[in-house]
Amino acid sequence: MNNKMNKIMVITGTSKGIGRELSQYYLKKGYTVIGCSRSESELLHERYEHFCLDVSDEKSVEKMITDVSRKYKKIDYLLNNAGIASMNHTLLTPASVVEKIFKVNVLGTFLFSREVAKVMSKNKWGRVVNFSTIGVPLRLEGECIYTSSKAAVEMMTRILAKEYAGMNITVNAVGPTPVKTDLIRNIPEDKITSLINRQAVKKMSDHGDIINVINFFINHKSNMVTGQVLYLGGLS
Amino acid sequence: MTEQEIKSIIHLAINDNFELQGSDEKASDDTVLFGSNSSIDSLGFVNIIVGVENQLKERNIDISLVSEKAMSRKNSPFKTVKTLVEFIQEEIEQ
Ligand SMILES: NC(=O)c1ccc[n+]([C@@H]2O[C@H](COP(=O)([O-])OP(=O)(O)OC[C@H]3O[C@@H](n4cnc5c(N)ncnc54)[C@H](OP(=O)(O)O)[C@@H]3O)[C@@H](O)[C@H]2O)c1
Repeated sequence: MNNKMNKIMVITGTSKGIGRELSQYYLKKGYTVIGCSRSESELLHERYEHFCLDVSDEKSVEKMITDVSRKYKKIDYLLNNAGIASMNHTLLTPASVVEKIFKVNVLGTFLFSREVAKVMSKNKWGRVVNFSTIGVPLRLEGECIYTSSKAAVEMMTRILAKEYAGMNITVNAVGPTPVKTDLIRNIPEDKITSLINRQAVKKMSDHGDIINVINFFINHKSNMVTGQVLYLGGLS
Repeated sequence: MTEQEIKSIIHLAINDNFELQGSDEKASDDTVLFGSNSSIDSLGFVNIIVGVENQLKERNIDISLVSEKAMSRKNSPFKTVKTLVEFIQEEIEQ
C-alpha cells in the first residue's frame, strides 16, 4: 500500500524555517511534499507543490486537502509545523495576539489533522506529527500564550492518538529546544542562553535533531508509538 | 446525483462497517445510525460519516456533513439513513 517510491507528505508552514528544511529533506528522500503557508514558497522541485493559505481558514484547508487527495489518492504523513509565537509578559499582551496565536497553532493543527485523517482513513494508515516546544515542561514565563497554545497542541496530540488509533493512524509531537529561525529572532540573546541553561543538553536544536525524532515517529515500525510528546535537550 | 445513488453510498458505508464489526446485519433505509437504538457504535458512526463524505468527494461533490448547522438541528440529520439522504440532498442543492 505504501510503496517507497510514492510517499505523500503534507507539511504546513513550508515557506521558511523548520518547515522549509523539512520539505527539502523529505524531497531529497524521494517523497512527494505538499506544503503551504500564507506566502509563496521559493522552493522549486518537481515533487513539491505549494498552496498559499492560512492554516486557520477552514474552507481553504478543506479545499487544499480535497485537491491533494484527488490528485495523489492518498496521504501518508502530515507534519503540523506551521506556528507563530509572540514572546511577551501577559500584562503586555493584547487579546488580538492571543486569538491569533491560538488560531494558527491550535485551530490550524486541528483542521489539518481532521481533514488529512479523513484521507488517511481510506488507506487505514497514516502518521501525524505535531509541534510543541520545551516551553511547556519549563512553564516558560514570558511565553505564556505561545506555550499555552502548544500545551493545547500536546493535549490534542494525546486525544487524537486515541481517536485515530482504530484507523491505524499514529499522532505524536516533537518539542524542540530553540532553533535559529525567524520565530525567535526577536528574543534577546541572554534570554535564549538562560533558557538553554535549563536544559540537560545545553544546546540549541538544529533541523537534524528534529528530523531524527520525526523519522522515528513516522517509521513503519513505530506502530505502537502514539500519543507521545518527545522533548529535545533532556526535558520531560 | 439521484436519491438512489446517495442511498447506495450510505448503504455501502454502513455495510462496510457491519462487516468490520463481524456482523451480518445489512443496511436499510431505516437503519439507525447512532444512539441506544443503533447497533452501530460511536466509532462506527464516525467511520460511516467520513466514508460517505469521502465517497461524495470522489464524485466531485464537496460538501461537509459536519457543520454547526447540522449539529444544532432539533432533529439530527444523522439519525437514520433516510434523514441523512434528505440532508445530503439539501446540501447538494445549496
Ligand atoms: N524556532 C524555534 O526555536 C522553535 C522551537 C520550538 C518549536 N518550534 C515550532 O516549530 C514550528 C516551526 O517554527 P519555525 O521556527 O520554523 O518558525 P518560522 O521560521 O517563523 O516559520 C513558520 C512557518 O509557518 C508559516 N505560517 C505561519 N503562520 C501561518 C498561517 N496562519 N498559515 C499558514 N502558514 C503559516 C510561515 O509562513 P507564512 O508566514 O508565509 O505564512 C512559515 O513558513 C512552529 O510550530 C514552532 O512553534 C520552533
